[in-house]
Amino acid sequence: MFFRLLRQSFLAGRRRKVLAVVTVSLAAALITTLFDLSVDVGDKMAREMKSYGSNIHVVPKSEVVHAGVDGVGYNPLSGRDFLDEKSLVDIKEIFWRNNITGIAPFLKTTATIGPRGAVPVIGTYFNHPLPLPDDENYRTGVTLINGYWNVTGRWPRDDASDEALAGIAVAEERGLSVGSRVTLQGTAGAATVVITGILSTGTDEDGAIVAPLAIVQTITGLAGKVQSVEVAALTVPENELSRKAGRDKEALTPMEYDLWYCTAYVSTIAHQIEEAVVNVSARPVWQVASGQGVVIGKIQFLMLVVTIAAFLSAAVGVSSLMNTTITERAKEIGLMKALGAADWEIFLLFLSEATVIGLIGGLVGSAVGSGLSQLVGLTVFGSVVAIPWIGLPVVIVTAVFIALAGSIVPCRAIARLLPVEVLYGRH
Amino acid sequence: MDAITTSVIEVAGLAKRFGTVTALENINISIRQGEFVAIMGPSGSGKTTLLNILSCLDTPTEGKYILDGIDSSSLTEQQRTVIRREKIGLVFQQFHLIPYLTALENIMLAQHYHSMPLKDEAMAALSRVGLDQRWNHLPSQLSGGEQQRVCIARALINEPAIVLADEPTGNLDERNEDLVMDLLKQLNREGRTIVLITHNPDLGLLTDRIIRLSHGHLEDVLP
Ligand SMILES: Nc1ncnc2c1ncn2[C@@H]1O[C@H](COP(=O)(O)OP(=O)(O)OP(=O)(O)O)[C@@H](O)[C@H]1O
Ligand SMILES: [Mg+2]
Repeated sequence: MFFRLLRQSFLAGRRRKVLAVVTVSLAAALITTLFDLSVDVGDKMAREMKSYGSNIHVVPKSEVVHAGVDGVGYNPLSGRDFLDEKSLVDIKEIFWRNNITGIAPFLKTTATIGPRGAVPVIGTYFNHPLPLPDDENYRTGVTLINGYWNVTGRWPRDDASDEALAGIAVAEERGLSVGSRVTLQGTAGAATVVITGILSTGTDEDGAIVAPLAIVQTITGLAGKVQSVEVAALTVPENELSRKAGRDKEALTPMEYDLWYCTAYVSTIAHQIEEAVVNVSARPVWQVASGQGVVIGKIQFLMLVVTIAAFLSAAVGVSSLMNTTITERAKEIGLMKALGAADWEIFLLFLSEATVIGLIGGLVGSAVGSGLSQLVGLTVFGSVVAIPWIGLPVVIVTAVFIALAGSIVPCRAIARLLPVEVLYGRH
Repeated sequence: MDAITTSVIEVAGLAKRFGTVTALENINISIRQGEFVAIMGPSGSGKTTLLNILSCLDTPTEGKYILDGIDSSSLTEQQRTVIRREKIGLVFQQFHLIPYLTALENIMLAQHYHSMPLKDEAMAALSRVGLDQRWNHLPSQLSGGEQQRVCIARALINEPAIVLADEPTGNLDERNEDLVMDLLKQLNREGRTIVLITHNPDLGLLTDRIIRLSHGHLEDVLP
């Protein structure tokens, strides 16, 4: 009888029930979308933010002191330590190698071009092959890690011995444009290159010629050497453990050490690079690395706020619909009481209706929300979002909660309702 | 006589006030088991107010109401609910059938809140009021007289000792009025106590006794 009553009363108030279901499913859809995205967004965001720079700066151990002093000054290369270009492969061999999204070596020098003195010259990989044991066709370079490097014209080929980019400031100062031919006179040789593109980065590279690494190695006589390496990696936000490790790894208990080592903190990856390549110092570039974690944290917080807002507004919507329903059905409630129904039996009827609304709303909302998160994934991140199936029960339970939360307050009116007041309409 | 021991309804010194409005004042009534009593009086004289108290839907401001030996003033809201469903059948002028339940389901709902719904018994009650053919119809598909008969079937389904009816024929034509009165008379012959509010003196004559109210006071009790 109860289920028949529930079914009939549900169908009788169909129009309002549909409205309530729509209200709940809108919130459920929003929550599903945010849930899907916030689970996936950490990765997606970190990938996105690769365009704003690398996470880890790798230099020979002996260079750490100088680097702090000269910054990006292009001091003579004599008497400096270098890294072997061959050891780049080792960086892609660490425990968290799959989180490394790009590597770019750098060799910086100065060269005279024409009568007006020296300009900085930077050698690097643009999109250079770096065969790995598990990926023969791996390629890497600044095009992969420095999304903010903007080239008018085209990128030089890494294997060309006569192509380079001119930084926008140098190009202006020396009157260079795409197609210009310049001779770079270095300490150990010269190379004549054609400018294939004008580079603008908003940083020091704007004042330099950027050439394939091999050319710079030739004019400096440093075959097979690089000065520093930038490594871009996907990392998780720093926390208490990673900060403790950052202060003093010795202070970690073995268990903490294992946990830290097996988590993709930027400090973990830097540490593993130091283990993999002899005599290097790998330093997180903190501004960028922690910036990513903070932004992702903020976005997830924002999503939480929006989720709570969606929850509350849907509950308020359900609540006002329930209120009207209960007012409309006051006679019926009065009659049930007159027939001897206990308050809880009437509560049960209305709360069951709310539960059904929550279930249907949750299901519809999950379906719509999953579609929506794909849409957002495709338009904002250009890739599909992995649907975490754990989200389905979470959202359905949340939807039922919304419907129940919205019904509790109006349902209190049921207890206060007196049959005498509703059964005998006073005229 | 042994009127005290056999009276199901015993009202003594009862008053009901709504703020400054006195709806009932100094009411003393005793109704015996199996009696058919009419309550009559002009509009606003307190008939419905009295019936609501008799049916435990409302409580008196003053005085005592003893139903089947139980003093209703000592009961909580929940206990009055239990009394209602165990002892009382209600018939309303506006029928108060649930619009989305069929005739049969409306009767089964009363069984549901009382004990458990039994389809056969509910069907039997419907055929008693001559509506077994219409069991699957919604109230909106029934005439006023038919709805009132469903309401009576619902009132008697749980075998109440007392049936309280507030102008049950107020919305009906003469033919349906007769049908409803016949049904109430039948119930009375089975030994149930019936209290009927009516404005129709002819109906009053069909009962054992008329209680007349005027301005909230008991005027006279006939015969
Ligand atoms: N809840 C209430 N609040 C205030 N006054 C009330 C209330 N209920 C009844 N009254 C008043 O009590 C008096 C008796 O009302 P009651 O409904 O019992 O009359 P009645 O005899 O049933 O009249 P009718 O024949 O028109 O149905 C009236 O004056 C009415 O206005
Ligand atoms: Mg009345």
